[in-house]
Amino acid sequence: MENCIEVKNLNKSYGHRVAVNNLNLTVKKGEVFGLLGPNGAGKSTTIDCILGLKSFENGSVRVLGMDPARERKRLFERVGVQLQSSSYQGNIRVGEVCEEIAALYQSPADYHDLLSQFKLDQYLKQPVAKLSGGEKQKLSVLLALIPQPEVLFLDELTTGLDTEARREVWHVLTALKKKGLTLFLTSHYMDEVEVLCDRICIISQGHALVTDTVPKLIQSSPYQRLEEAYLWVMKEEIAL
Amino acid sequence: MKKFFTLLKIEGKLSLRSIDSIFFGICMPVGIIILIGLIAGPNPTTSDAGYTLIQSSFGALVTVGICATAFMGIPLTIADYRDKKILKHFFVTPVSPTMLLWVHAVINMLLSVISALLIYATARIFFGYQMIGSELAFVGSYLLVMVSMYSLGLLIASLCRTIKTANVVCSIVYFPMLFLSGATIPFDIFPKQLQTVAGFLPLTQGIRLLKSASLGLETSLLMPLIVLVGSLIIGIILSMRFFRWE
Repeated sequence: MENCIEVKNLNKSYGHRVAVNNLNLTVKKGEVFGLLGPNGAGKSTTIDCILGLKSFENGSVRVLGMDPARERKRLFERVGVQLQSSSYQGNIRVGEVCEEIAALYQSPADYHDLLSQFKLDQYLKQPVAKLSGGEKQKLSVLLALIPQPEVLFLDELTTGLDTEARREVWHVLTALKKKGLTLFLTSHYMDEVEVLCDRICIISQGHALVTDTVPKLIQSSPYQRLEEAYLWVMKEEIAL
Repeated sequence: MKKFFTLLKIEGKLSLRSIDSIFFGICMPVGIIILIGLIAGPNPTTSDAGYTLIQSSFGALVTVGICATAFMGIPLTIADYRDKKILKHFFVTPVSPTMLLWVHAVINMLLSVISALLIYATARIFFGYQMIGSELAFVGSYLLVMVSMYSLGLLIASLCRTIKTANVVCSIVYFPMLFLSGATIPFDIFPKQLQTVAGFLPLTQGIRLLKSASLGLETSLLMPLIVLVGSLIIGIILSMRFFRWE
């Protein structure tokens, strides 16, 4: 199968602090890939490097076969991105932020459809600032879907969502996965990762500890559930 | 182009929703010209007779809109959008974040021009204002003052890393420019020492230029032109050097 995202020997440091240390990963078309790790492990930096938002010392990054920094205009017609803790213009309304994002793409999705899928359609005329934290988070995922992406990046997609809202988001994403969407996400919720991800990579202090499918990772650990297996991997790392 | 106009429409609506830019950029200078008209009427100014106080203040008052947009609107919007990572988010879309900056440049230019036109209309309709000098020279000077002040506004946005410092710096720059350059209080009534100090403000030179253009005065305009073109060039070069998208 075709590789959608290819990261080879990625190195990035801020001054003397190494943020990403020789990271390699590939994500195939139609796959849901989870990048896991504690806060400060380098997840957001990795996403920023993959998207061409940050320069890096060495290594190479390809998304849909393109260099994100050089072929930005062509690439981002086909890639949707939700950045961690996004915020919006003061006193902008929900409908306006959707219209503005939709205007940036050649063939955007109908955002009214998306709003009703995410149960946000009643807020069309409301200021974004008046939405609850969970509704804002859902909106940021929704905006990433407006380009009708082939590849979707979600950084901490359901932080701050209640159980019901989390299910709505999962539901939309699994439906899109069936249609062949490739998804790259970071999350701190292992139940979510178990539901959504095909393969995961656990990183700590910028380097990869394991990259494997969810069932295989659980099998290799003495536990039954991903959360325990994850903690076990992190503990093994400290013991070494 | 369609992208640009959609952004212009939405961002324009947002600008209109924040009352302060309308108040400081449009209502305040129109209010001042009405006050001057009511107080002084058709009487000539004391210091330089031959034209009315309205005629002598016109060139200064049209810069209030420029001042409000250049030292409040532009830098605060950019700092705010950078703080909220809105500019950063444009990097992961097919559209360059530069387009968002141009959209705001156009919105602010429109605000300044509307402010100037309203001041002109008020002066003309209610107080019979006539421009003595050449209209063309005046419009040219106006545009030069505008781009020059906007480049300084962009420079503030480039040098201030956070919205908090931008707020402080904007207040420190905006109020002296507004009150000491002659934009709101006639420059001629300042004490000599204050005039010397205020002469260093780029806007003071801009107002000298506009005033001579509107009154058709035959004074040397070398100094104002050097200061304005200099500010423009320095502002653009330093902004390009220090500007950060996030």
